[in-house]
Amino acid sequence: METKLKQKELHTHVKTKFFMSADKKVKIKKVLSYTAFVAPAALFFIMIQIIPFLMGVYYSFTSWNGVSSAVEWIGLENYKTIFTGDPEFYNSFMFTAKFMLVSVLLTNVIGFGLALLLNEALKTRNILRTVFFMPNVIGGLLLGFIWQFIFTKGFASVGNLTDIPFFKLPWLGNEQTAFWGIVIVFCWQMSGYMMVIFIAALQGIDNSLLEAAKMDGAKGWTLLTKIIIPLILPSFTICLFLTISMAFKIYDLNISLTGGGPFNSTQSIAINIYQEAFHNNNYGLGTAKSILFFIAVSAFTTFQVMLTKKREVEA
Amino acid sequence: MKRHLLLLLSLLFVSAIAVGCSEGNAETTGSNSSTGSEEGEEPKEVYIFHPKVEIADQLEAMAAEFEEEYTDIDIRLEALGGGADYRPALKAKFSSGEEPDIFINGGFTELELWKEHLADLSDEPWVEHVLPIGKEPMTDSEGKLYGMPINLEGYGIVYNKKLFEEAGITEKPTTLSELKEAAQKLENSGITAFAAGYGEYWIPGEHLINVPFAKQDDSASFIQGLNEGTTSIVGNESFEQFKEYIDIELAYANDNPLTTDYNTQVTLFASGETAMLAGQGNWTEAMIYEIDPEMDMSFLSIPLSDEADEDLLPVGVPNNWAVNKNSENVEAAKTFLNWMVSSETGQQYITEQFKFIPAFDNIEPTGIGALGESILEYSKAGKTIPWTFYKFPSGASHEFGSTIQSYAAGNIDYETVLEQFQATWDSLKE
Amino acid sequence: MSYKKSTFIVELIGIAIAILFLVPFYFVLVNSVKSFPEILVNAASFPNKVLFSNFSKVWGLINFPKAFLNSLLVTVTSIVGIVVISSMAAWKLVRTPNKLSQILFIIFVSSMVIPFQTVMIPLLKLSGTLGLINSIHGIVIMYFGFGVSLSLFLFHGFIKTVPTEIEEAARIDGCSEFGVFWRIVFPILKPITATVIILNTLWIWNDYLLPLLVLQNPDLRTIPLATSALFAQYQKQWDMGLAALVLGIVPIIAFFLFLQKHIIKGVQAGSIK
Repeated sequence: METKLKQKELHTHVKTKFFMSADKKVKIKKVLSYTAFVAPAALFFIMIQIIPFLMGVYYSFTSWNGVSSAVEWIGLENYKTIFTGDPEFYNSFMFTAKFMLVSVLLTNVIGFGLALLLNEALKTRNILRTVFFMPNVIGGLLLGFIWQFIFTKGFASVGNLTDIPFFKLPWLGNEQTAFWGIVIVFCWQMSGYMMVIFIAALQGIDNSLLEAAKMDGAKGWTLLTKIIIPLILPSFTICLFLTISMAFKIYDLNISLTGGGPFNSTQSIAINIYQEAFHNNNYGLGTAKSILFFIAVSAFTTFQVMLTKKREVEA
Repeated sequence: MKRHLLLLLSLLFVSAIAVGCSEGNAETTGSNSSTGSEEGEEPKEVYIFHPKVEIADQLEAMAAEFEEEYTDIDIRLEALGGGADYRPALKAKFSSGEEPDIFINGGFTELELWKEHLADLSDEPWVEHVLPIGKEPMTDSEGKLYGMPINLEGYGIVYNKKLFEEAGITEKPTTLSELKEAAQKLENSGITAFAAGYGEYWIPGEHLINVPFAKQDDSASFIQGLNEGTTSIVGNESFEQFKEYIDIELAYANDNPLTTDYNTQVTLFASGETAMLAGQGNWTEAMIYEIDPEMDMSFLSIPLSDEADEDLLPVGVPNNWAVNKNSENVEAAKTFLNWMVSSETGQQYITEQFKFIPAFDNIEPTGIGALGESILEYSKAGKTIPWTFYKFPSGASHEFGSTIQSYAAGNIDYETVLEQFQATWDSLKE
Repeated sequence: MSYKKSTFIVELIGIAIAILFLVPFYFVLVNSVKSFPEILVNAASFPNKVLFSNFSKVWGLINFPKAFLNSLLVTVTSIVGIVVISSMAAWKLVRTPNKLSQILFIIFVSSMVIPFQTVMIPLLKLSGTLGLINSIHGIVIMYFGFGVSLSLFLFHGFIKTVPTEIEEAARIDGCSEFGVFWRIVFPILKPITATVIILNTLWIWNDYLLPLLVLQNPDLRTIPLATSALFAQYQKQWDMGLAALVLGIVPIIAFFLFLQKHIIKGVQAGSIK
């Protein structure tokens, strides 16, 4: 390590000596190459995501209904409405937050568990990996319809056969079962996704490090918590962030599984925003909600990323 | 190997962009008419965006026949399915500038929302043949007509005649007590009375709640009164009576009505597991016949009391064709709509292919099944009440549905139900 | 390594979980060969009569070959573009640790929490003016814009763990920046590239709302769009719909089987130290 550092120093030293006069040139070149690498991504991103988002910010200060050509500026009125007279929005926020906490925890634990499982020298490894990943191949709405069917019909018939109380619950029919129903499907679908990322990370661990630790007598739990997890902390950051943002944005699954019901108890924020903008024809109010939501989620996720980042550095 | 793959991919990439560019133009060259309309003049394109996937193929076939007669007009149909929402998609299309020339409008509240985009159709030749009930939704306060009713639909309680006989019900129940009695008889003979689908918000939140709205002495002025704050849901007689009906339906219904969605509900009835299908209409016919082609069925009304005049079915216009005022081809669009309801071919499609109950007095309904017939009988006898849910404030039916779900789950009492109805209306009205 | 008893137990657990995972697929497969009334009345049981005709019917009904080609074209071009632009940007952002890079990174990443529905209307307004509507290249550009956040995020996280020495060495050898990236760095990124490809493929292949809003020309229809015609507001043709679903997911599963090898063995090959 030290020699390398010295080499580097030497290298830069030589460089500066040689190109002292051309310092500006180097700088320009650097800026150019930075632009060449970053600009394409930034360009598409700005055009497709940022500009529409800013237009949305504008609409959040209006009372636009989504159809009319007249767009009336009403200042902060929409934001006031959200904070003073919208218990539904508050309820759906609480639901989403609760859902996010539970499902993020479960999904990552299961996903990491599956990745560890598949890191063993199993004979059926390739098949299992594919099977765990398969839930991802059925998209959005259809997935919800299929599960709705399993919960209401499949569980009921299993319950009649076995008399296990778990299957005899009124699945999706009351607040608790609807909540857990969505959690189950989310975990079922997303843990395979997280597994893929964890596997990639586990594969990246230098085998010699593991061997060395094993030689030192590290086993099982210690090996896992002291060596493996610290080594792949960045992938935890990634997975946490992904599950958090997905859980926060959950829409398709709710719509098709419970429709936000029964009695709006599983209405996620995304559904609430959608209803407001498109069914209640309050596009301005809907976007105002989505911007508040955006701010809340980015604050939360930035905080989370910073927290895990810190641990990464410490490790 | 890898290089080749990369090369191939980038080639694909470039060609895709090229293809994408030319694809847009390819379409305007027109492809359908073999009769040789390529005399320099480009055909006018009428772009129709609709949610009626169930008749999408038949519509295509009808459009093809139209194009044969009118070689200068091209019909481009696009159906929206997949359980996706039509209204948001329509708004998005208008935002992108890809405005359809003909699209769907539900009337009343929705007419007001879209009016600035709609062409006035009052002077069209077909207007004189529209049944009065069909004009109502798309007529504005100045008496102008902005849409053509697609069809008529009606709902109530569909009942299985055979199961009723088995339970010894000889007389068709028309009042609340008679309905309860029938349900009890069914239960005594081991038959579940009702298939109740409270899993879908629109079954309680539109169809059921419509009944107390429609049974007001003058439902239009009752609703106007709600908007102005002069009438009230709390304390209204029909709404008080509505409780009785809901209680009977739930007491004699299938298990878990709150998780029963549309498909399950209809299947319960069609497979003979229940004797009645509550809050559903003639649109279920095709699905029921598919499961049991021999089904012998008809409509009962949804009664609120024991008065003699309870035997009324809610009949209305579910959707209307509307023409985009800013379209370049308004005239072509109007031509198409007129052809559809006045030419022999068009009329035939409406009745025999789409199996619609026409909202026109000059189209003879044929090809409709038992439920359609039942609706026609009620309509002819004047025993109908209106559909009021298109007059609800936007988003209100979702809330009504969720309130009734809450009541069905036993979370709130009926007094709270009425208070919540009122609160929903007050907070969502313009 | 030898196959131990404990490994066998782990294996059994794995298989048990796998069976649990497969239950919904049982429903899909079994019902895709049933008639419509049978699905409604008897969904959980084996079919009375296996109807492969569902598949042949739906094949023609939704013009599957055409839809498949469209889906393929959209997915492949979008993925190639996303991988190229986001890996390049991620590398530069990691290797140039200044304020600008940090800010850019945060903006890229935090945009992931914006629900699509909220930018839907403005996006369509904008793309209407830019002429991105009703063409394959238009929707591909949109996928570039939407896909770049997640992909850049994943690449960014991975590149941080890649040592810089090799790059430095290559630079000394006179490699241009592009050369360094494409010849040295990109091959090392293989496992994460495979991950990015898989995740984006899933999303784009199954995406419904965006194609619906952008691709109005029936000739441009992707598989989800074509399939959706089978699901009306009231009447859902489950028999056809599930058969179409099976047709649509088979390519994706095959693709995953093909790519997963690269996630696994990739790093060993790349971990030159």
